[in-house]
Amino acid sequence: MTKPLLDVDDLRVRFHLRTGTVEAVRGVSFQLGRERLGIVGESGSGKSQTGRAILGLTPPPGEVTAKRLAFDGIDLLTASKRTLRTLRGGRISMVMQDPKYSLNPVMTIGEQIIEAYQAHARAGRGEARDKALAMLEAVKMRDPARVFSLYPHEVSGGMGQRAMIAMMLVTDPDLLIADEPTSALDVTVSMEVLRILDELVTERGMGLIFISHDLKLVSSFCDRVLVMYAGRVVEELEAKNLREAKHPYTQGLMRCLPTLKDDVRPLPTLNRDPAWAQ
Amino acid sequence: MLDIQNLQVVFGTGRLRVDAVKDVSFHVEPGAAYGLVGESGSGKSTVLRAICGLAPITAGRVLVDGKEVTTPRGKAFYRTVQMVFQDPYASLHPRHTVDRTLSEPLAIHGEKDAEARILQALREVGLGPSFRFRYPHQLSGGQRQRIAIARALILRPKVLLLDEPTSALDASVQAEILNLLDDLRRRLGLTYILVSHDLAVVAHLCERLLVMRHGEAVEETTSTALRSGAASNEYTQSLIQASQGFTRDAQQPVRSLAG
Repeated sequence: MTKPLLDVDDLRVRFHLRTGTVEAVRGVSFQLGRERLGIVGESGSGKSQTGRAILGLTPPPGEVTAKRLAFDGIDLLTASKRTLRTLRGGRISMVMQDPKYSLNPVMTIGEQIIEAYQAHARAGRGEARDKALAMLEAVKMRDPARVFSLYPHEVSGGMGQRAMIAMMLVTDPDLLIADEPTSALDVTVSMEVLRILDELVTERGMGLIFISHDLKLVSSFCDRVLVMYAGRVVEELEAKNLREAKHPYTQGLMRCLPTLKDDVRPLPTLNRDPAWAQ
Repeated sequence: MLDIQNLQVVFGTGRLRVDAVKDVSFHVEPGAAYGLVGESGSGKSTVLRAICGLAPITAGRVLVDGKEVTTPRGKAFYRTVQMVFQDPYASLHPRHTVDRTLSEPLAIHGEKDAEARILQALREVGLGPSFRFRYPHQLSGGQRQRIAIARALILRPKVLLLDEPTSALDASVQAEILNLLDDLRRRLGLTYILVSHDLAVVAHLCERLLVMRHGEAVEETTSTALRSGAASNEYTQSLIQASQGFTRDAQQPVRSLAG
């Protein structure tokens, strides 16, 4: 078997607060190859903190420990800040939830993509510009040259998120972490953004971690799904076998959504068993 | 119960003019639940806001119980029509206890017996009396939305305007709130207008619904028709498709809306 791209063993994220220690992630382990992995959970399940910890973006006073946290053989916990900087945005990228907050409001979209590219590649301005335009075309912008010179407030949410994806993929990363990339978008727009993301990830053979609260969406998009509850992975399964989920939490999450197909009422609700969090 | 005739809402003038709602009409029977579906910017929330006086009615008529509404709306209007907002983190006063939040509408309308009414309202939304003196930050998202519903119900209105009441909540909490709304409508004989971007939520709660796009009514249909997939309009079809989740092989069915 080939070496995994990302190897996470017993990852823990703790926040030491005045009121005591909160353990947001409690022993998460998984390995990722060049595949699409989904992490699903409700708010507070630690799914986003898992993604952030991999990139070393845990906000203070958070503390990250793990038996092993390695990307392509590089230990991310002991790596120097300098090494981490070359990895972040270079070989590992992250797409955040809301393009309104994750793009720089006072820089044109083109400039931001050029900046991202030049931070990691030795390239002249002309080359970076060509690369940025090509990337904008790859995310299906209708008029790349026009979008290049627009400011983030001048584009719609869907366009902003595609610009964000363009910026994150311009350095040809090996791993992309997408944290709720479409939750701020309308359904039809989000399908379009997902389709573009899917194409690019497949084309370039990247690893993808897709973090979302939407079990249905994740299972239709990813190959494998981790279900998190209270900082732990309660179930790991192949996306296509989601219907055969064993854990009561996963089953509950599946059932409590209203569907267009059948009319269940009252909707089954989730009875949280304290034992799940053990 | 509620009759909207050729409603038009315009914000701004001249170059800044925005036609948020263009010539929308629908009718809601007493005791029915009516859904407004659409994407952001479709004008669905503006319709609700125009009904309850938070947005101007530029043209057209809004009739409640056969009587045209006055601007500004009187006390009698708010006794009949109340609203629940999207984000329970933003719609409750952070420095008011639940008790104060619930007693305010009673005080405004000169209702007596506040204590009993507050306890009853809390019971109706499935919260115990122990929640009465809590602040919003001591409540979870689902509990906050229950308080917002209790506040809307405490004056015994006949119509409840629901603006995305579950979209800020987790899936499992959403199920609880939808069940509560379903149950309350049956017990209290309420009329609902529900605004949501989620087709499944609207189909679950409402019998009839209106699909909106760019401020215009696209299609009026029933949730039964939606379930059987019988939507005549192409846009409604694309919404149905998108709500089924991501499909890898399908030909791009949705015409690009932006970009």
